[in-house]
Amino acid sequence: MTPPTMTARPWLLALVLLLAPGLAEAHIIAARLGDFYTGALHPLTDPQDIVLWLALALFAGSLGPGRARWLVLLMPLGLLAGFLLQVTLGIGQIGALGAAGLMVGLGLLLASGLATGLAAGNRLFGGAVLLVTATSGASNAAGMAPEANATLFAAGLASAGYVVITLLLAAIVALRWPSTDTSGTAGWRAIVLRVCGSWIAAIGLMIGGFALKSLAGV
Amino acid sequence: MNIRLRQSLQRGGALVALILAQGAAAHEQAGVAGGLVSGFLHPITGLDHLVAMVAVGLWGAQLGAPALWVLPVTFPLVMALGGVLGVLGVPLPMPELVIALSALVLGGAVAVRLRAPFGVAALLVAVFAVFHGHAHGVELPKAANPLAYGIGFVLATGLLHGCGITLGLLTRWPQGDRLVRALGAAIALLGTDFLATGLRML
Repeated sequence: MTPPTMTARPWLLALVLLLAPGLAEAHIIAARLGDFYTGALHPLTDPQDIVLWLALALFAGSLGPGRARWLVLLMPLGLLAGFLLQVTLGIGQIGALGAAGLMVGLGLLLASGLATGLAAGNRLFGGAVLLVTATSGASNAAGMAPEANATLFAAGLASAGYVVITLLLAAIVALRWPSTDTSGTAGWRAIVLRVCGSWIAAIGLMIGGFALKSLAGV
Repeated sequence: MNIRLRQSLQRGGALVALILAQGAAAHEQAGVAGGLVSGFLHPITGLDHLVAMVAVGLWGAQLGAPALWVLPVTFPLVMALGGVLGVLGVPLPMPELVIALSALVLGGAVAVRLRAPFGVAALLVAVFAVFHGHAHGVELPKAANPLAYGIGFVLATGLLHGCGITLGLLTRWPQGDRLVRALGAAIALLGTDFLATGLRML
Protein backbone atom coordinates (compact mmCIF):
# COMPACT_ATOMS: atom_id res chain seq x y z
CA MET A 1 0.00 0.00 0.00
CA THR A 2 1.25 3.47 -0.86
CA PRO A 3 1.99 5.70 2.15
CA PRO A 4 -0.31 8.78 2.48
CA THR A 5 2.65 11.13 2.01
CA MET A 6 3.31 9.61 -1.42
CA THR A 7 -0.27 10.21 -2.70
CA ALA A 8 -0.44 13.72 -1.25
CA ARG A 9 2.81 14.86 -2.85
CA PRO A 10 1.52 15.61 -6.40
CA TRP A 11 -1.48 17.49 -5.03
CA LEU A 12 0.71 19.50 -2.67
CA LEU A 13 3.07 20.39 -5.49
CA ALA A 14 0.17 21.47 -7.73
CA LEU A 15 -1.34 23.51 -4.88
CA VAL A 16 1.92 25.39 -4.37
CA LEU A 17 2.20 26.13 -8.08
CA LEU A 18 -1.48 27.12 -8.33
CA LEU A 19 -1.09 29.67 -5.58
CA ALA A 20 1.73 31.35 -7.45
CA PRO A 21 0.62 31.44 -11.11
CA GLY A 22 2.37 33.82 -13.48
CA LEU A 23 1.80 34.73 -17.10
CA ALA A 24 4.42 33.65 -19.60
CA GLU A 25 6.34 36.57 -21.05
CA ALA A 26 8.04 35.50 -24.23
CA HIS A 27 9.15 39.02 -25.13
CA ILE A 28 9.92 41.21 -22.17
CA ILE A 29 9.32 44.47 -24.02
CA ALA A 30 10.14 46.61 -21.05
CA ALA A 31 13.75 45.38 -21.10
CA ARG A 32 14.77 47.04 -24.40
CA LEU A 33 12.99 49.61 -26.56
CA GLY A 34 10.05 49.31 -24.16
CA ASP A 35 8.83 52.85 -24.74
CA PHE A 36 8.64 52.21 -28.50
CA TYR A 37 6.12 49.41 -27.88
CA THR A 38 4.31 51.48 -25.26
CA GLY A 39 3.90 54.28 -27.82
CA ALA A 40 2.75 51.82 -30.48
CA LEU A 41 0.18 50.14 -28.21
CA HIS A 42 -1.07 53.30 -26.48
CA PRO A 43 -3.54 54.42 -29.21
CA LEU A 44 -4.71 50.85 -29.80
CA THR A 45 -5.94 50.55 -26.22
CA ASP A 46 -8.03 53.74 -26.38
CA PRO A 47 -11.49 53.38 -28.00
CA GLN A 48 -11.49 57.11 -28.86
CA ASP A 49 -8.37 56.78 -31.02
CA ILE A 50 -9.64 53.57 -32.59
CA VAL A 51 -12.99 55.11 -33.60
CA LEU A 52 -11.38 58.32 -34.89
CA TRP A 53 -8.71 56.49 -36.91
CA LEU A 54 -11.37 54.20 -38.37
CA ALA A 55 -13.56 57.20 -39.23
CA LEU A 56 -10.66 58.95 -40.93
CA ALA A 57 -9.72 55.83 -42.90
CA LEU A 58 -13.34 55.33 -44.01
CA PHE A 59 -13.60 58.98 -45.02
CA ALA A 60 -10.35 58.90 -46.99
CA GLY A 61 -11.29 55.56 -48.56
CA SER A 62 -14.69 56.90 -49.62
CA LEU A 63 -12.97 59.73 -51.53
CA GLY A 64 -11.10 57.31 -53.76
CA PRO A 65 -7.65 55.71 -53.92
CA GLY A 66 -5.98 58.94 -55.11
CA ARG A 67 -6.75 60.90 -51.95
CA ALA A 68 -6.55 57.85 -49.70
CA ARG A 69 -2.90 57.31 -50.64
CA TRP A 70 -1.99 60.70 -49.15
CA LEU A 71 -3.22 59.59 -45.75
CA VAL A 72 -0.55 56.87 -45.58
CA LEU A 73 2.07 59.64 -45.58
CA LEU A 74 0.13 62.27 -43.64
CA MET A 75 -0.99 60.03 -40.77
CA PRO A 76 2.42 59.49 -39.09
CA LEU A 77 3.47 63.09 -39.82
CA GLY A 78 0.28 64.47 -38.28
CA LEU A 79 0.65 62.24 -35.23
CA LEU A 80 4.22 63.46 -34.75
CA ALA A 81 3.17 67.10 -35.17
CA GLY A 82 0.45 66.71 -32.52
CA PHE A 83 2.86 64.88 -30.26
CA LEU A 84 5.41 67.71 -30.54
CA LEU A 85 2.75 70.37 -29.91
CA GLN A 86 1.69 68.66 -26.70
CA VAL A 87 5.23 67.93 -25.46
CA THR A 88 6.68 71.38 -26.23
CA LEU A 89 3.75 73.77 -25.86
CA GLY A 90 1.21 71.70 -23.94
CA ILE A 91 -1.53 72.24 -26.55
CA GLY A 92 -3.38 70.07 -29.02
CA GLN A 93 -5.86 68.13 -26.92
CA ILE A 94 -9.53 68.65 -27.72
CA GLY A 95 -11.19 66.61 -24.98
CA ALA A 96 -14.16 64.28 -25.19
CA LEU A 97 -16.50 66.93 -26.62
CA GLY A 98 -14.08 67.80 -29.43
CA ALA A 99 -13.52 64.13 -30.24
CA ALA A 100 -17.29 63.61 -30.29
CA GLY A 101 -17.63 66.56 -32.68
CA LEU A 102 -15.03 65.03 -35.01
CA MET A 103 -16.84 61.67 -34.94
CA VAL A 104 -20.18 63.31 -35.72
CA GLY A 105 -18.70 65.46 -38.51
CA LEU A 106 -16.81 62.64 -40.22
CA GLY A 107 -19.69 60.22 -39.66
CA LEU A 108 -22.25 62.57 -41.19
CA LEU A 109 -19.99 63.28 -44.19
CA LEU A 110 -19.70 59.53 -44.75
CA ALA A 111 -23.38 58.74 -44.12
CA SER A 112 -24.62 61.49 -46.44
CA GLY A 113 -22.06 60.74 -49.16
CA LEU A 114 -21.67 64.51 -49.59
CA ALA A 115 -17.87 64.68 -49.45
CA THR A 116 -17.29 63.01 -52.81
CA GLY A 117 -19.33 65.61 -54.65
CA LEU A 118 -18.04 68.71 -52.90
CA ALA A 119 -15.82 71.17 -54.77
CA ALA A 120 -13.95 71.80 -51.53
CA GLY A 121 -13.30 68.07 -51.12
CA ASN A 122 -9.51 68.46 -50.98
CA ARG A 123 -9.64 71.17 -48.31
CA LEU A 124 -12.19 69.17 -46.33
CA PHE A 125 -9.96 66.10 -46.54
CA GLY A 126 -6.89 68.07 -45.50
CA GLY A 127 -8.71 69.65 -42.57
CA ALA A 128 -10.05 66.31 -41.36
CA VAL A 129 -6.60 64.68 -41.58
CA LEU A 130 -4.95 67.57 -39.74
CA LEU A 131 -7.55 67.65 -36.96
CA VAL A 132 -7.74 63.92 -36.32
CA THR A 133 -4.02 63.12 -36.55
CA ALA A 134 -2.77 66.15 -34.60
CA THR A 135 -5.29 65.80 -31.79
CA SER A 136 -4.68 62.07 -31.59
CA GLY A 137 -0.92 62.65 -31.39
CA ALA A 138 -1.43 65.25 -28.66
CA SER A 139 -3.77 63.09 -26.57
CA ASN A 140 -1.32 60.16 -26.76
CA ALA A 141 1.55 62.44 -25.74
CA ALA A 142 -0.49 63.59 -22.76
CA GLY A 143 -0.92 59.97 -21.72
CA MET A 144 2.82 59.26 -21.84
CA ALA A 145 4.46 58.47 -18.49
CA PRO A 146 6.90 61.22 -17.33
CA GLU A 147 9.83 58.78 -17.13
CA ALA A 148 9.23 57.45 -20.67
CA ASN A 149 11.66 58.12 -23.51
CA ALA A 150 9.72 60.60 -25.67
CA THR A 151 11.64 59.80 -28.88
CA LEU A 152 10.96 56.07 -28.65
CA PHE A 153 7.33 56.67 -27.64
CA ALA A 154 6.75 59.04 -30.59
CA ALA A 155 8.43 56.61 -33.00
CA GLY A 156 6.17 53.81 -31.76
CA LEU A 157 3.08 56.01 -32.06
CA ALA A 158 3.92 57.11 -35.63
CA SER A 159 4.74 53.53 -36.66
CA ALA A 160 1.44 52.25 -35.27
CA GLY A 161 -0.40 55.03 -37.10
CA TYR A 162 1.34 54.18 -40.36
CA VAL A 163 0.70 50.42 -40.10
CA VAL A 164 -2.91 50.65 -38.90
CA ILE A 165 -3.99 53.29 -41.40
CA THR A 166 -2.29 51.48 -44.31
CA LEU A 167 -4.04 48.20 -43.50
CA LEU A 168 -7.40 49.91 -42.97
CA LEU A 169 -7.11 51.91 -46.20
CA ALA A 170 -6.12 48.82 -48.16
CA ALA A 171 -9.24 47.00 -46.94
CA ILE A 172 -11.58 49.97 -47.46
CA VAL A 173 -10.28 50.87 -50.93
CA ALA A 174 -10.48 47.21 -51.99
CA LEU A 175 -14.08 47.11 -50.77
CA ARG A 176 -15.25 50.43 -52.20
CA TRP A 177 -13.14 50.72 -55.36
CA PRO A 178 -12.44 47.19 -56.63
CA SER A 179 -10.37 47.06 -59.83
CA THR A 180 -12.97 44.82 -61.44
CA ASP A 181 -16.54 44.53 -60.26
CA THR A 182 -18.66 42.09 -62.18
CA SER A 183 -20.93 41.19 -59.29
CA GLY A 184 -23.06 44.33 -59.61
CA THR A 185 -22.66 45.13 -55.91
CA ALA A 186 -21.11 48.60 -56.32
CA GLY A 187 -24.21 50.23 -54.82
CA TRP A 188 -24.10 48.00 -51.77
CA ARG A 189 -20.40 48.68 -51.25
CA ALA A 190 -21.13 52.42 -51.01
CA ILE A 191 -24.02 51.71 -48.62
CA VAL A 192 -21.70 49.75 -46.31
CA LEU A 193 -19.53 52.86 -45.94
CA ARG A 194 -22.62 55.02 -45.35
CA VAL A 195 -23.89 52.66 -42.63
CA CYS A 196 -20.44 52.71 -40.96
CA GLY A 197 -20.56 56.52 -41.11
CA SER A 198 -23.97 56.67 -39.46
CA TRP A 199 -22.79 54.32 -36.70
CA ILE A 200 -19.72 56.52 -36.06
CA ALA A 201 -21.86 59.67 -35.99
CA ALA A 202 -24.28 57.96 -33.59
CA ILE A 203 -21.42 56.99 -31.26
CA GLY A 204 -20.13 60.58 -31.43
CA LEU A 205 -23.57 61.98 -30.60
CA MET A 206 -23.89 59.83 -27.51
CA ILE A 207 -20.39 60.65 -26.32
CA GLY A 208 -21.07 64.35 -26.95
CA GLY A 209 -24.20 64.10 -24.84
CA PHE A 210 -22.25 62.52 -22.02
CA ALA A 211 -19.48 65.15 -22.29
CA LEU A 212 -22.10 67.93 -22.15
CA LYS A 213 -23.63 66.32 -19.09
CA SER A 214 -20.21 66.17 -17.41
CA LEU A 215 -19.51 69.82 -18.30
CA ALA A 216 -22.87 70.95 -16.99
CA GLY A 217 -22.34 68.88 -13.84
CA VAL A 218 -25.84 67.44 -14.13
CA MET B 1 -8.88 0.74 -7.85
CA ASN B 2 -5.40 -0.13 -8.98
CA ILE B 3 -2.92 1.93 -6.95
CA ARG B 4 -0.79 2.77 -9.96
CA LEU B 5 -3.84 3.89 -11.91
CA ARG B 6 -4.99 6.05 -8.98
CA GLN B 7 -1.57 7.70 -8.74
CA SER B 8 -1.57 8.37 -12.49
CA LEU B 9 -5.01 9.96 -12.27
CA GLN B 10 -3.89 12.13 -9.36
CA ARG B 11 -0.80 13.29 -11.21
CA GLY B 12 -2.79 13.91 -14.38
CA GLY B 13 -5.34 15.93 -12.44
CA ALA B 14 -2.60 17.98 -10.82
CA LEU B 15 -1.01 18.62 -14.23
CA VAL B 16 -4.35 19.75 -15.76
CA ALA B 17 -4.99 22.05 -12.78
CA LEU B 18 -1.53 23.52 -13.19
CA ILE B 19 -1.92 24.16 -16.93
CA LEU B 20 -5.33 25.76 -16.48
CA ALA B 21 -4.21 27.99 -13.61
CA GLN B 22 -5.16 31.66 -14.06
CA GLY B 23 -4.98 34.78 -11.95
CA ALA B 24 -8.20 35.66 -10.13
CA ALA B 25 -10.20 38.59 -11.58
CA ALA B 26 -12.81 39.84 -9.13
CA HIS B 27 -14.20 42.64 -11.35
CA GLU B 28 -13.95 41.67 -15.01
CA GLN B 29 -16.65 44.09 -16.20
CA ALA B 30 -14.79 47.26 -15.27
CA GLY B 31 -13.36 49.85 -17.69
CA VAL B 32 -13.54 49.63 -21.46
CA ALA B 33 -14.48 45.93 -21.54
CA GLY B 34 -17.30 46.47 -19.05
CA GLY B 35 -18.69 49.44 -20.99
CA LEU B 36 -18.49 47.56 -24.30
CA VAL B 37 -20.20 44.46 -22.92
CA SER B 38 -22.97 46.36 -21.12
CA GLY B 39 -23.58 48.58 -24.17
CA PHE B 40 -23.68 45.59 -26.51
CA LEU B 41 -25.98 43.56 -24.26
CA HIS B 42 -28.44 46.39 -23.50
CA PRO B 43 -30.39 46.24 -26.79
CA ILE B 44 -30.12 42.44 -26.95
CA THR B 45 -31.22 41.57 -23.42
CA GLY B 46 -34.22 43.91 -23.49
CA LEU B 47 -36.85 41.93 -25.41
CA ASP B 48 -38.90 45.06 -26.22
CA HIS B 49 -35.85 46.70 -27.84
CA LEU B 50 -34.76 43.51 -29.58
CA VAL B 51 -38.05 42.73 -31.33
CA ALA B 52 -38.58 46.35 -32.39
CA MET B 53 -35.09 46.55 -33.95
CA VAL B 54 -35.63 43.29 -35.84
CA ALA B 55 -39.08 44.53 -36.96
CA VAL B 56 -37.48 47.69 -38.42
CA GLY B 57 -35.20 45.49 -40.55
CA LEU B 58 -38.07 43.20 -41.58
CA TRP B 59 -40.29 46.11 -42.60
CA GLY B 60 -37.45 47.77 -44.49
CA ALA B 61 -36.90 44.54 -46.43
CA GLN B 62 -40.61 44.32 -47.23
CA LEU B 63 -40.74 47.95 -48.40
CA GLY B 64 -37.63 47.52 -50.57
CA ALA B 65 -35.34 50.32 -51.78
CA PRO B 66 -34.80 53.03 -50.63
CA ALA B 67 -36.26 52.07 -47.20
CA LEU B 68 -34.11 48.93 -47.18
CA TRP B 69 -30.89 50.94 -46.82
CA VAL B 70 -32.10 54.37 -45.65
CA LEU B 71 -33.53 52.96 -42.43
CA PRO B 72 -30.28 51.32 -41.21
CA VAL B 73 -28.37 54.51 -42.11
CA THR B 74 -30.70 56.98 -40.40
CA PHE B 75 -32.07 54.90 -37.50
CA PRO B 76 -28.84 54.88 -35.41
CA LEU B 77 -28.49 58.65 -35.87
CA VAL B 78 -32.05 59.42 -34.78
CA MET B 79 -31.77 56.92 -31.94
CA ALA B 80 -28.55 58.59 -30.80
CA LEU B 81 -30.40 61.93 -30.69
CA GLY B 82 -32.90 60.28 -28.35
CA GLY B 83 -29.91 58.90 -26.43
CA VAL B 84 -28.54 62.42 -25.94
CA LEU B 85 -31.92 63.50 -24.53
CA GLY B 86 -31.75 60.55 -22.12
CA VAL B 87 -28.17 61.34 -21.08
CA LEU B 88 -29.06 64.98 -20.44
CA GLY B 89 -32.09 63.95 -18.40
CA VAL B 90 -34.68 65.47 -20.74
CA PRO B 91 -37.91 63.58 -19.96
CA LEU B 92 -40.11 62.04 -22.66
CA PRO B 93 -43.80 61.21 -22.12
CA MET B 94 -44.46 57.57 -21.21
CA PRO B 95 -41.28 56.12 -22.76
CA GLU B 96 -41.97 52.49 -21.77
CA LEU B 97 -45.45 52.59 -23.29
CA VAL B 98 -44.21 54.09 -26.56
CA ILE B 99 -41.46 51.45 -26.78
CA ALA B 100 -44.08 48.74 -26.27
CA LEU B 101 -46.28 50.45 -28.85
CA SER B 102 -43.36 50.43 -31.32
CA ALA B 103 -43.19 46.61 -31.18
CA LEU B 104 -46.97 46.40 -31.68
CA VAL B 105 -47.08 48.87 -34.60
CA LEU B 106 -43.91 47.73 -36.40
CA GLY B 107 -44.75 44.04 -35.91
CA GLY B 108 -48.30 44.71 -37.12
CA ALA B 109 -46.97 46.54 -40.20
CA VAL B 110 -44.82 43.50 -41.06
CA ALA B 111 -47.69 41.08 -40.38
CA VAL B 112 -50.14 42.85 -42.74
CA ARG B 113 -47.35 43.80 -45.20
CA LEU B 114 -48.28 47.49 -44.87
CA ARG B 115 -47.13 49.39 -47.98
CA ALA B 116 -46.85 52.79 -46.31
CA PRO B 117 -45.34 55.70 -48.28
CA PHE B 118 -41.62 56.01 -47.58
CA GLY B 119 -41.97 59.38 -45.81
CA VAL B 120 -44.66 58.07 -43.45
CA ALA B 121 -42.67 54.91 -42.67
CA ALA B 122 -39.51 56.94 -42.03
CA LEU B 123 -41.35 59.39 -39.75
CA LEU B 124 -42.96 56.59 -37.75
CA VAL B 125 -39.67 54.73 -37.33
CA ALA B 126 -37.88 57.98 -36.40
CA VAL B 127 -40.35 58.74 -33.60
CA PHE B 128 -39.92 55.25 -32.18
CA ALA B 129 -36.13 55.49 -32.58
CA VAL B 130 -36.04 58.60 -30.37
CA PHE B 131 -37.82 56.72 -27.57
CA HIS B 132 -35.60 53.63 -27.88
CA GLY B 133 -32.49 55.84 -27.85
CA HIS B 134 -33.79 57.70 -24.83
CA ALA B 135 -34.05 54.45 -22.87
CA HIS B 136 -30.44 53.58 -23.80
CA GLY B 137 -29.25 57.09 -22.98
CA VAL B 138 -30.72 56.97 -19.50
CA GLU B 139 -28.55 53.90 -18.85
CA LEU B 140 -25.38 55.43 -20.39
CA PRO B 141 -24.05 57.40 -17.39
CA LYS B 142 -24.08 54.22 -15.28
CA ALA B 143 -21.76 52.41 -17.69
CA ALA B 144 -18.12 51.79 -16.83
CA ASN B 145 -16.83 53.58 -19.94
CA PRO B 146 -19.29 55.79 -21.85
CA LEU B 147 -17.45 55.63 -25.19
CA ALA B 148 -17.21 51.83 -25.04
CA TYR B 149 -20.89 51.68 -24.01
CA GLY B 150 -21.83 53.82 -27.03
CA ILE B 151 -19.79 51.62 -29.39
CA GLY B 152 -21.34 48.42 -28.02
CA PHE B 153 -24.87 49.78 -28.12
CA VAL B 154 -24.63 51.13 -31.69
CA LEU B 155 -23.00 47.90 -32.93
CA ALA B 156 -25.69 45.73 -31.33
CA THR B 157 -28.47 47.90 -32.74
CA GLY B 158 -26.97 47.83 -36.22
CA LEU B 159 -26.51 44.07 -36.08
CA LEU B 160 -30.14 43.62 -34.99
CA HIS B 161 -31.24 45.66 -38.01
CA GLY B 162 -28.98 43.45 -40.11
CA CYS B 163 -30.69 40.36 -38.67
CA GLY B 164 -34.08 41.82 -39.55
CA ILE B 165 -33.02 42.74 -43.09
CA THR B 166 -31.45 39.30 -43.65
CA LEU B 167 -34.60 37.56 -42.41
CA GLY B 168 -36.62 39.98 -44.53
CA LEU B 169 -34.85 38.76 -47.67
CA LEU B 170 -36.91 35.57 -47.27
CA THR B 171 -39.84 37.56 -48.73
CA ARG B 172 -38.47 36.69 -52.19
CA TRP B 173 -40.03 33.26 -51.78
CA PRO B 174 -43.75 32.66 -51.02
CA GLN B 175 -43.02 30.40 -48.03
CA GLY B 176 -40.45 32.88 -46.72
CA ASP B 177 -42.93 35.72 -47.11
CA ARG B 178 -45.43 33.85 -44.94
CA LEU B 179 -42.70 33.17 -42.37
CA VAL B 180 -41.74 36.87 -42.24
CA ARG B 181 -45.37 37.89 -41.78
CA ALA B 182 -45.72 35.30 -39.01
CA LEU B 183 -42.64 36.81 -37.32
CA GLY B 184 -44.28 40.21 -37.59
CA ALA B 185 -47.45 38.84 -35.98
CA ALA B 186 -45.41 37.32 -33.14
CA ILE B 187 -43.65 40.67 -32.59
CA ALA B 188 -47.02 42.46 -32.55
CA LEU B 189 -48.34 39.97 -29.97
CA LEU B 190 -45.30 40.57 -27.78
CA GLY B 191 -45.83 44.32 -28.19
CA THR B 192 -49.45 43.90 -27.04
CA ASP B 193 -48.22 42.06 -23.96
CA PHE B 194 -45.62 44.78 -23.21
CA LEU B 195 -48.29 47.44 -23.67
CA ALA B 196 -50.79 45.67 -21.39
CA THR B 197 -48.11 45.26 -18.72
CA GLY B 198 -47.14 48.92 -19.05
CA LEU B 199 -50.74 50.09 -18.79
CA ARG B 200 -51.33 47.96 -15.70
CA MET B 201 -48.32 49.63 -14.04
CA LEU B 202 -49.66 53.15 -14.64
